[in-house]
Amino acid sequence: MANIPVLIVILPLAAALLCLVLTAIHERLGLWAVGLASLASFVLSVMQLITVAREGTIHYCIGGYAVPYGIEFVIDSVNACVLVMISLIGFLTVIFAKNFGERIGRMQRGAGYAVLSLLITGLLGMTSTGDVFNLYVFLEITSLSAYCLIALGGSKGVVSAFRYMLVGTIAATFYLLGIGVLYAATGTLNMGDMSDILDKGGYDHVMLVSMCLLIVGFGIKMALFPFHGWQPSAYTHAEPGTRPLITGVMGKIPALAMFRFIFCVFGTDLIYVRFLLVMLGVFSVCGMLYGSIMAMGQSDLRKVLAYSSVAQIAYISLGFAIGTPTALAGSFIHMLAHAFMKGGLFFCTGAISYKFGTYSLDDLGRIYKKMPLTCGLLVVAALSMIGIPPTAGFFSKWYLALGAAGAHYWVYLAVLVISSLLNAVYFFKLIEKVFIQPSKDLDERWSAGEFELPVSIVLPVVVCFAAILAIGIFNVRIFDFLMMTLEGVGL
Amino acid sequence: MRKALTVILLVIVLTVPFVFFDILPVIGDPDSAPNSHVSDYYIEHAVEECNSPNMVTAVIVDYRAFDTMFETTVMFLAGIAVMLILAEHPKRKLMVPTRVRRLNVHEGSPVYRTVNKDVMVSVIQVLILIYAMYVLFHGEVSLGGGFQAGALIGMTYLLDVMVCRREQPLFRTTKYKAGAIAGLGPLLYAVTGMIPFIGGGLYLQYGKMPFAIHEAELHSIGITSVEIGVTIGVAATIITIINALTERIVFDDEI
Amino acid sequence: MTAISVFLASKGIYLLTFILLSLGVAGMIVCNNYLKKLICMNIMQVAVIFFFLCLGQKSGGTIPVALDGALKASEYINPLPHGLMLTAIVVSLGTTGVGLSLLLRIREKYGSVEEDDIIRRERKV
Repeated sequence: MANIPVLIVILPLAAALLCLVLTAIHERLGLWAVGLASLASFVLSVMQLITVAREGTIHYCIGGYAVPYGIEFVIDSVNACVLVMISLIGFLTVIFAKNFGERIGRMQRGAGYAVLSLLITGLLGMTSTGDVFNLYVFLEITSLSAYCLIALGGSKGVVSAFRYMLVGTIAATFYLLGIGVLYAATGTLNMGDMSDILDKGGYDHVMLVSMCLLIVGFGIKMALFPFHGWQPSAYTHAEPGTRPLITGVMGKIPALAMFRFIFCVFGTDLIYVRFLLVMLGVFSVCGMLYGSIMAMGQSDLRKVLAYSSVAQIAYISLGFAIGTPTALAGSFIHMLAHAFMKGGLFFCTGAISYKFGTYSLDDLGRIYKKMPLTCGLLVVAALSMIGIPPTAGFFSKWYLALGAAGAHYWVYLAVLVISSLLNAVYFFKLIEKVFIQPSKDLDERWSAGEFELPVSIVLPVVVCFAAILAIGIFNVRIFDFLMMTLEGVGL
Repeated sequence: MRKALTVILLVIVLTVPFVFFDILPVIGDPDSAPNSHVSDYYIEHAVEECNSPNMVTAVIVDYRAFDTMFETTVMFLAGIAVMLILAEHPKRKLMVPTRVRRLNVHEGSPVYRTVNKDVMVSVIQVLILIYAMYVLFHGEVSLGGGFQAGALIGMTYLLDVMVCRREQPLFRTTKYKAGAIAGLGPLLYAVTGMIPFIGGGLYLQYGKMPFAIHEAELHSIGITSVEIGVTIGVAATIITIINALTERIVFDDEI
Repeated sequence: MTAISVFLASKGIYLLTFILLSLGVAGMIVCNNYLKKLICMNIMQVAVIFFFLCLGQKSGGTIPVALDGALKASEYINPLPHGLMLTAIVVSLGTTGVGLSLLLRIREKYGSVEEDDIIRRERKV
């Protein structure tokens, strides 16, 4: 039982490594291994969440070496929530992805599942690690598997994957340089130990330089506004089966790592922290407006959602820019909620394209008659994106707004409201297409069966639906749970 | 113009802080932070704790073994990513560059004709493989280790592909088989890490492996097993990439 | 004059490293050819590897393989950056491999690796 933190990461890894061998034995075996491993990792992360709620932060030293010498996993309440979110969406994506790519060969599909499982491993590892260099290794695993999955989406996917690779490598290099500067000043790689040394004072310039490098690095990886250039085309042309995981989760984990560095490693008593947070705030404000405005002009459903991600990531970094515990909790609730919302929306677009083979907004006329369940989630997720009360999106924005008002950042509050209204514009356009516009004749690729779609597509849709409502209903409990960690680190 | 401005800005941003802020230690200073805090512990304790005279080996496969496991996984991932990206489309028939290959068969200049390359290669390959084994099993004593050994084995295969004709290879495999084997290497690593669970230890805690021998020996067993895993992973990945590339080769004027 | 010499002797190597890094980043922005961008990406990664190796240098230290009778920390150079950079090298190798295979696909599809040509063809499709 004590080994749960490391098992969560190791099980998907082992499944990925075994996947090709198992696929060579039988066609379905690799898929089963990856699916079962991600399910097991979900169950273990729920158990871990319960342990963290009972006993507080978990420290796990790999290899049994004392803290600054070995690699350490640190699971606090924020990590535990995010781990549950990643492993759940990862599991749903694995069973969702089995419906796509039926034209490619058997071993290639096996290799595809292996890459997907490694993407889950990388994301889980990035979340749980407490060592800066280990974070770099996981970051690279995440990026490499993402390049591969984006490139599998077709000939346009190859070009966007190549562009993402160039930009993503700059990001990883800047991150490595940033931790190099920190290592040169402190001589340690462990986050907790580094934080202790930096607290002794006299490291202001070091922290300023490395923080700028890290903000650029993580900003590129999470597609924060001025560094978002790679994101829309990569999200649009990614492999359709794995798109929910890439769009829903991949951008959030660098944001979590950025939070670790700003608030846990550097601490808020640094003299330059105000400057850095204002810089982050300006980026976020521009991103929220830019992403929403660009999303209004798109006619491809995938592009609308991709640009909307630029805006939604900016909500998360806005919470960091405000920096009070309430705003930080708002950020993390938004991180959880948006993963399910955007993941759910891409499950829906995947389902629509599975049935009708289209992504165009104009083809969606009165599609609710043909696919009631999918459209139900589409509407709930869209309402949640706008911020209508019983859904998760409202409460995350509510806590962000509370934080902004509490710290007297009226500009942020105004932009939050304006951006929500802009969201309403393009999501009501989507809802109008689904319910009011006259229907078009589309040829169905999938017909018959009990449900409107195969069970492996219906299940992710239903789970996302439930998760959005559950996060909305239990928001107070999640808020209190997150505050266990955030009380101590906010401004 | 925009590009030039960006570049100038970047150069200033990257270089200025390091010249004007005094944040980096003096080169070679024994008392600087990176040379004193954690590194001293590694140097002083590597031999007794890990039973490995080579401190770099001790750091990468014992103290920070978790990093190296994922590093090997990165190799595997790169291999299968290349395999997937360069996979042939089932409908498209690859043009085999027969004309070019026929040109390659010629015997070369008179000097080389005296040496029978098919015989020479089988001698050289065996020597390289022996050297690879030496590098692998002496990684913890002197300079060397799993990555170098894996690269050497991969190079043997490359030599085979480059020199021998397709009809009479010494050893050949397909990219899928090689990819599957490449996964087994890191898996050996991961399973070695899990063995200490039985003895009540933590992940990769070699000293807690459930065998009744001295702890230093356990560390040696752990390190060797891990290095073998790395070797298999790296060698098979290189073979996967070579196979994926050679199956794909289509010359520009033949598309 | 002596101030500059002292500076160059103690910190000059960092300056060289950062010039190399800037060259790489600048090349990635300015070059129009994707293969050149990939090469510049490698230059950039090598610059960071150099930077870490500079931190591992120690005057009067030998290679970190234990000798008989010498166990003091000041007698060996710092093994940690070398171990870390082994990982970074492998990662950069993997990234380059994936990048080259992507480039091969781009070349097959668009018949060119120049950015202008690819953007023009993309618009046409």
